[in-house]
Amino acid sequence: MQTSIQSSIALILLRNFNKKKGGFMMAIDYSKEIGSAKVEQQYVYESGNEMAAYAAQQINYHVMGYFPISPSTEVAQFLDLTKTTGQHDIKLIPSDGEHSSAGICYGASTAGGRVFNATSAQGYMYMLEQMPVQSGTRLPMVMNLVCRSISGPLNIHGDHSDLYFALNTGWPILMCRDPQAVYDMNIMALKLAEDPEVRLPVMVASDGYFTSHQKRRVQTFMHREDVMKFVGEQPPAGFPHTLDREQPISIGPYMNEPDYINNRYQMSEAMYKAGAVFERIAKEYGDLTGRYYPTLDLYRMEDAEVAVFLMNSASEIIKDVVDQLRAEGIKAGSISPNIIRPFPQKQIANALKNVKAITVGDRGDSTGGHGGNMVNELKAALFTHGNHTTQVISRIYGLGGKEFYAEDGHHFFQLAIEAAKSGEVAVPFDFYGHHPGESDKTPIRLLKPLKFEDLKTGLIEIDKDELTGKLRVKVPPMRSLVKKPKRLTPGHGACPGCGIFSGLELFFKGIEGDIVTLFHTGCAYVVSTGYPHSSHKGTFIHNLFQNGAATLSGVVEMFWERKRRGELDDLGLKDDFTFVMVTGDGGMDIGMGPAIGAALRNHRMIILEYDNEGYMNTGAQLSYSTPKGHRTSTSGVGKTQQGKGSHHKDTPQIMAATNIPYVFTGTEAHPQDLVKKAAKAWWYAQNEGLVYGKILSACPLNWMAEDNAGTSLVGTAVDSCFFPLYEVELGITTITYDPEAKSQKVELTEWLKRMGKTRHLLKPENEAILKSFQDEVERRWSRLKIKHAHPEL
Amino acid sequence: MGGLPLVNKLGFYEIRLEAIGGMGANLAGKMLAEAGVNGSGLNGVSFSSYGSEKKGSPVKAHIRFCELTTQIRDTSSVEHPHMVGIFHEALAKTVHVTSGIGPDSIVLVNSTKAPSQLMALLDMQGGKIAAIDATGIALKEKNRVNMAMLGALFKICPFLDPQAMKDIVTKSLGAKYPQAIESAHRTFDRGYEEVVFEQFTLEDNGPLLDFKHSNISSLGYENQPIGGMITNPGGNYLKDLSISRSGMIPSYDPESCINCAGCDNVCPDMCFVWEERTDRKGRSQIFLQGIDYQYCKGCLKCVQACPTSALSSIKEKEGYADKYSVKHRFDLAAQF
Repeated sequence: MQTSIQSSIALILLRNFNKKKGGFMMAIDYSKEIGSAKVEQQYVYESGNEMAAYAAQQINYHVMGYFPISPSTEVAQFLDLTKTTGQHDIKLIPSDGEHSSAGICYGASTAGGRVFNATSAQGYMYMLEQMPVQSGTRLPMVMNLVCRSISGPLNIHGDHSDLYFALNTGWPILMCRDPQAVYDMNIMALKLAEDPEVRLPVMVASDGYFTSHQKRRVQTFMHREDVMKFVGEQPPAGFPHTLDREQPISIGPYMNEPDYINNRYQMSEAMYKAGAVFERIAKEYGDLTGRYYPTLDLYRMEDAEVAVFLMNSASEIIKDVVDQLRAEGIKAGSISPNIIRPFPQKQIANALKNVKAITVGDRGDSTGGHGGNMVNELKAALFTHGNHTTQVISRIYGLGGKEFYAEDGHHFFQLAIEAAKSGEVAVPFDFYGHHPGESDKTPIRLLKPLKFEDLKTGLIEIDKDELTGKLRVKVPPMRSLVKKPKRLTPGHGACPGCGIFSGLELFFKGIEGDIVTLFHTGCAYVVSTGYPHSSHKGTFIHNLFQNGAATLSGVVEMFWERKRRGELDDLGLKDDFTFVMVTGDGGMDIGMGPAIGAALRNHRMIILEYDNEGYMNTGAQLSYSTPKGHRTSTSGVGKTQQGKGSHHKDTPQIMAATNIPYVFTGTEAHPQDLVKKAAKAWWYAQNEGLVYGKILSACPLNWMAEDNAGTSLVGTAVDSCFFPLYEVELGITTITYDPEAKSQKVELTEWLKRMGKTRHLLKPENEAILKSFQDEVERRWSRLKIKHAHPEL
Repeated sequence: MGGLPLVNKLGFYEIRLEAIGGMGANLAGKMLAEAGVNGSGLNGVSFSSYGSEKKGSPVKAHIRFCELTTQIRDTSSVEHPHMVGIFHEALAKTVHVTSGIGPDSIVLVNSTKAPSQLMALLDMQGGKIAAIDATGIALKEKNRVNMAMLGALFKICPFLDPQAMKDIVTKSLGAKYPQAIESAHRTFDRGYEEVVFEQFTLEDNGPLLDFKHSNISSLGYENQPIGGMITNPGGNYLKDLSISRSGMIPSYDPESCINCAGCDNVCPDMCFVWEERTDRKGRSQIFLQGIDYQYCKGCLKCVQACPTSALSSIKEKEGYADKYSVKHRFDLAAQF
C-alpha cells in the first residue's frame, strides 16, 4: 500500500500534477517506435493500477462497484480522479465492503451493461462466494485481481495466494507480467467475457506493488474510438437481461439434481472454449496493436534443456537470468502462461517435450498439497500428455512480497541443471527463501505486565442513582489520572499529530482494571503491531477488517463460560476484564453488520470507534462517515464533482436504535467529558451489555491541516454542532456539552475553513453544497436537542 | 545532456532516494523519472517503497534509467544504486541508507555539513559525496525540500534536462498556484547551483561497505513463535522515532508548568514523563518531569494545549533532544 500516506499525499499532489497535463496522462511522442500497429498508439509512463483504470476509462464501463483494499485501491482512485475531470462517466459506487461490491457488480451485470471491479487478497476472499455465482449464472464482467497475500498475521504485500483461490471459481484468468499487459489484458478481457461462446466473467491478474505500483512506459490506443471498435460499442445483443419488461426472466433459480450437473457442464465447456477464443482475440489484438499475447510466453525455449516456470512479474526477471545462462552455454529457457484458466495443459506439455528438468516456482502454497497449484497442474499436464521424462522441481517462493532477485532465478536454474544431470530430483518440494533465524535472538519478554493495582486505582467513583437508574460518575482532575499507566507503549508509527492514540488513551483512563482489546484493521492496528514489535501492553487481538465485533463477542462469551466452569481460577484474575473493540470509521462501514449483530446480542463489551472521516490507512478514501462535500481520494474536487456527494453516517444513532444500554460521543478536546463517558462505558460493559462510542479523531495529514491542529479541529467540530457531545444512557439522550448554552457555538465554516479537504466548500460556486451540509448538521442538532429535552424520545 | 554515465550489467543507471514519509521524496522520484522518460528520451521504471508506512516513517523511492532499446524486466528494489539521495540526514541513525553503494556511486545528502563530515557520519570509507542544504534553501525560498533536492539530483544526473523539469513544475503549478512557480524554480535552481561534491579515495579499491539483503529478519521458522503471535508485546518502546521530526521540537520549562496534564491528554506519542512526589504542602502529587524525545515526532500538539508558557516550540538544534530528554522508566521483565 503504498497504501498509505505517501500514496495519499502523492495522489493529492497528483491531482494537480496530472490535471495540468491536460488529461489523465502525458503522452510521449515516440511514434517512430510504434512500428507494427495498425491503429494509432501512444506512449504513457504509468503504473499497472493506472493502466487498469485507463483501460476502464477508455471502455467507459457502465458501473464499477468497489471497496478499497491495497494494493488495488488506486484503480478506483484513478477512476474517481478522471471522472472528476470529466474524462469518463462510469458510475462509481463505493460499497460497504467487498461482499457488497461484488453484489453491486452482480446486480449491475444482470441488468445488461458493462461492469468492472478491482480488488485484492482479503477483499477477494470476502467476495469469494459471489464469484461462482457470477460465472454459474453466466454474467460477463471484468475484475482486476491485484494479487496480494491471503493471510493472518496480516500481510499486505504481493504473492499469488489470492489468485489461487480464483482457480475454482469458473472465471477465465488472464495474467499480466507488467503494466503494458495490464492495459492490454483489460481490453481483451472484456471481449473474451462477452464472447457468445464464453459468456463468463473474466479476471485480470497482476502482481500487487511489483506491477500495480511500478511506473513503466506503456503503449495505449491513442483514441478510445479504436478501443470501442475492438470491444464493440455495446455488448453483443441477444442475451436476456433484467430490464426488459417484454421478456421477463428469472435469474438464479433453485436448481438441484438432475439439472445442476448440466449447468456445470455448460460452464466447463464455455471455459475450455475461452482458451481458443482468447487465442483468436489475442491474435486480432496483436494484428491491431503489434502487441501479441500467445497463450504461453516462451522465452528461448526452442532448444531449452532446463527451464523455469514462473508467473507474472518474476517471469520477466527470469528472462535476464536465461540470457546470462545462455551466454555461458547453458541451454536455458523460461515459460510463463498468459492465461491460467483454462489451464493451457496441452501447450505446456508441448513446450516441455524436450526439456530435461524444470523448476516451477509457486508464489503461493497449497499447504499440504506437495506443491503449489501451478506445479501440480503442470505435472498433470505432463502426465496427461505422456511426458514421463521431464524432471519437475517445486519451490514455493516470494511469499508476502518477498522480492525475487536474479540470483534467486539462478538458484532455480541450478536445481534444474542438477536434476537434468543426475536424472532425479533430490528434493521435489520445498520452500525457498525461508530462513531459520538467529538462535540467540529468540523473543524474550521485554516488559512486565501492567500491575493490577496501578490500573484499579479507585480514582474513578461510580454508582447508580436508584431514582433515575442512571450512573453517577466522579472523575478527579486529569492531573491525578496521569498516574494510571498508559495501555500502549510509545514507539508506534502513527503520523505526527495523529488523533487516534491520544483519544484512545484518554478513554482508557476512564476504565479501571484490565482490558482486553481487539483492533479492527486500520491505522491504529497497523502502526501499533508491526512485527516483531507491538505497542500493546495488555492482551490484544486483530482479526479480519469487518469481523471484530463478532470476534470479540466470542472472546467475551468464552471468558464468562470458562469463568463459570472454574477454569480461570488458577490464573489469579483479580477482576473481570473489560473487553474493548477499537475500530475506525472504515471498520464500522464494512463491519456494520457484525457490530449490529453484537449489539442485538448485547454482549458485555465496548465498541469504540475512532472516526477520522475516511479510510486513512489505505490512502484516504471516502467512508460513509465522510461528510458531504469533503475531499477524499475517492471523492475528488474538480469539474464534475465537489467532494463527497452524500451526508455523513450517523453511527451513534444507528447503534442507539439497537437499544443497547449506553451510547456516547467524545473528543480529546473535552477530556473530562470523555473520561466520564469511558467510566460509564466500563460500568455498563461490566454489568449490563454492549456499549458503543464514537471519538472524533483528527487526521491532520488527510484533513490537510497542520500537525498541531488536531485538538482544536475536533473542538471546533463540536462547537459548530457538527459533532455534538452526548450520550444515550438506557435510552435517554443527554447532551453533555451544549455549545449554544455556553455561548461557544461557531459557524460550520469556522471548522471547514481550517482544513484543506473542505476549503473549496467556502467558494461561492459551492454555496449549495455548503448549505445542504449546514442544513443537515442543523437538522441533526435540533433533533438531538428535542431528544435531550424529552426523555421518552 | 548526454548518455547515461554509468550502467550496471543489465544496462541500468539506478537511483535510490531515502526519505521520511511526507517529505515529498515519492513525488520527487516520480518527477525525476518522468523527466528522464518523458523529457530526456530514456526508458525507465520507478516506484516507491510500499507498505503502511505513515508520514514520518522511513520511505524509499527507486528509479532505473536505461536506453530506449533496453528491456526492462527487473522489478526488484534498487540494491546497488549509482546514486543515493538522502533527504534527511538523521535517517542514517536508523536506516542503512548507503546500503549497496559501489566505488563509483554518488551519495547526496540534505545537510549543512561538509562532505568530509558526512563521510564519517555515514561510515563510508571513501567515494563521492555531495551535500546540499535543501532544508535551509526550502525555508528561505518558502518552498519544499524535495524541490531543492531535485535541483541537486539533476546536477548529479547530467543526462537529465533541468529545463524539462522546470517546465513540468510550471505546468503542474500553472493555473492554480502561479505565484508558487517562481519560488519553486528558484528552489530548484539553488539546489542545482549550490550542491557541493567531494571525492574521497578509497583505499585498496575494496567494497565501500559490506552488502547484505535488507529483507532478512533475526526471527525465522525456528524461533518465530507459531501463528505470528507476538509473545513479548510492548517492544515498540525500543524504537527511535526522532527522525520523524521535521525541524521543530517542543521545549519544556518546568518553572511555568502548572502540571495540568493538558499536554499529556493530547500527545499522540506518550512522550510526557511524570513522577509522583510531595508538593509544598506535603501532599503526594503528580509532576511533569519532562519529555522523552525518543518518541517525539514534533507535531507540537502539546504546545497548542499548554495553557501557560511551559511548552514552546523551538527549532531543533543538534544535540538538544539528547541533552534534555527525560527517559521513560519502563518496567522491564529482563535485564539487558
